Amino acid sequence: MAVIEVKKLTKEYQLGALTTIKDNAMNTIRRLQGKPTLKRKRFKALDDVSFSIEKGEVIGIIGTNGAGKSTLLKHLAKITTPTSGCISVSGTVAPLIEVGAGFVPDLTGRENIYLNCSIMGLSRKETKTKIDEIIEFSELKEFIDTPIKRYSSGMSVRLGFAVATSIDADILIVDEVLAVGDLAFQRKCFDRMETLIKRQGKTVLLVSHNIRQVSRLCTRVILLDSGRVVADGPPKTVCDMFYERSDRKIKTNSEATSLKIGVESTNELDLMDIYLSDINGHRISAVEYQSDVKVCIKLKINNHLNHVTFGVGVHTTDFLYLATHNSEEDCAIEDLNQGQYLIKCNLYSFPFLPGVYSLRLGVTAGLSLRKVYYGEGLYNFHVVAGAKTGVSSSTREGFIGLNAKWQEPTTISL
Amino acid sequence: MVSTFKNLFTYRELILVLAWKNIAVRYKQAYMGLAWAVMKPLMLMLIFTLVKSFVGIDSGDIPYPVLVFAALMPWIFFQESASEGVNSVVAHTALIKKIYFPREIFPLVAMTTKLLELGISFIILAGLMAWYGMMPSLSILWLPVIIAYTMLAALTISLFGSAVNVYYRDMGQALPVVLSLFMYASPVIYPLTLVKQKLLIEQAAGDWSNTLYTIYMLNPLAGIIDAFQGALFRAESPDINTLLPGMIAILILLPLSYLYFKRAETYFADVI
Repeated sequence: MAVIEVKKLTKEYQLGALTTIKDNAMNTIRRLQGKPTLKRKRFKALDDVSFSIEKGEVIGIIGTNGAGKSTLLKHLAKITTPTSGCISVSGTVAPLIEVGAGFVPDLTGRENIYLNCSIMGLSRKETKTKIDEIIEFSELKEFIDTPIKRYSSGMSVRLGFAVATSIDADILIVDEVLAVGDLAFQRKCFDRMETLIKRQGKTVLLVSHNIRQVSRLCTRVILLDSGRVVADGPPKTVCDMFYERSDRKIKTNSEATSLKIGVESTNELDLMDIYLSDINGHRISAVEYQSDVKVCIKLKINNHLNHVTFGVGVHTTDFLYLATHNSEEDCAIEDLNQGQYLIKCNLYSFPFLPGVYSLRLGVTAGLSLRKVYYGEGLYNFHVVAGAKTGVSSSTREGFIGLNAKWQEPTTISL
Repeated sequence: MVSTFKNLFTYRELILVLAWKNIAVRYKQAYMGLAWAVMKPLMLMLIFTLVKSFVGIDSGDIPYPVLVFAALMPWIFFQESASEGVNSVVAHTALIKKIYFPREIFPLVAMTTKLLELGISFIILAGLMAWYGMMPSLSILWLPVIIAYTMLAALTISLFGSAVNVYYRDMGQALPVVLSLFMYASPVIYPLTLVKQKLLIEQAAGDWSNTLYTIYMLNPLAGIIDAFQGALFRAESPDINTLLPGMIAILILLPLSYLYFKRAETYFADVI
């Protein structure tokens, strides 16, 4: 049975400032005269969105800024009404939309717990049974009778999260709230979300830019772009698709601005090109898992450089540095005169699992290892499962395949 | 309409908690705390008493300070419920954009807050009456009914006003000013008996006198204040003839005001 059913949901907003009374009056006159009225430009935040969610599903909603994620959640939480289409939600909805909405700075932590709980629909009695747990989870026992305005930002966010996740509802709506507090607390929040989701079998809608988190928590992911559902399916497929799309966007952005983001250079050298090629030197945009490839770097040296070291690295599109390799041990480059060069680095048995990755490059010169050039996100490429080196289901997750083999169980005598 | 009341019953606890929040926030860091709630009627009473000593307003056999205080109580309750109610929706922008519950809660919360302040005023009133040696009669049992009726009057304004205020903030600015002027069109500084005397008996406005009186009585507060004073000092039950024009006005306007609010409500989060 579907708990949430969204059919052809469209939401339009009017662009520009609010109409003035004068405009309204003019429009009324025009309407009376039978002339067309002045209309403000309209903007579709959601465009013909349809999907349905079954009980117990954990849905991730991802998309770039302005894709309509929050607008969608607002509709599900009944905060706003659609321009057309319909939504049916069966069961109670607890919004986690922005932790700590409705906190009052002048009230103490304890008072705010009561206030926030009753805003979320808990009775005083229910709050009483939960308050100890909330205080304990937020780790604010000492400060609970101090006004919130004296709290650090981390403290109030912790309290907000503790309150928000203590609400019992059939459907939880989470908008970008998991990244709160220090690392230890983030871990705790994450565990709590996982408990809510996995053990209590709640239906959860999760909006986040942290794709790794989404693909870990969710059973299904919906990708929105400019108000439309672009993809709706298993997390891995949809998240990879999202990575690709963002990469393309990043690429066009950086090409358009010509000023590369994440590039530092002293102008002593220009990077003309960097790409991957197969062993025969042909440029490729997709790499077969565990095949041999070369990183090719074309450079123009403007000033003479000595003691040059190159380093190439592979990182994910969200800048998790996976591996690097330096040239210093393989070849000592004493002098590099003005001119253009092609530098190659062979990568044997490419170790990363299928997905989208990117290259980074660093160049240092001199005995002091002065940084001459550094850039990341320079070349995006795909890793695909190869014909002979297929990826077995046992190594599907993560970034690298382990060279491992399980053995048959043996009995041990104590 | 039935579902509305059912809804409100479900949310009664939230209304109380939000009202408590308003009061707590307002008086938390104030040394005098809730005493400030009665400062306004007390000061106005003193000023009016001073003015009265120059211009001479006939208050019959009831001491003027008590009479004017008893008029100020429902008036201030009405005025502040309405003007705070009008601003209440906009004041809770953060909540409106995040969480759904029936939005009419906000004007109601503003009113509940004022209800508590009205309760405190009763303590002062009791003190004043004791000072002048006045004994209330059983007719004070009418007071809750009169106050409930005052709430309807305030809601008529605050529901419509708060919805308009979301679109045009002029409402929130204008209404308090208009209402404070309106006080002089209500029998606050002078008793209603004076108006009756002038218009109905002396026919001071000639042929227009009776019409003018009816128009005057269309203001629900005219009837309310008179009934309030009557129940307190004259051992009277509310006079239906005095209250009728105002009641008709509210009976027509309140549903309209509520409907407008409910229609506008769906766009609050988008526009606010």
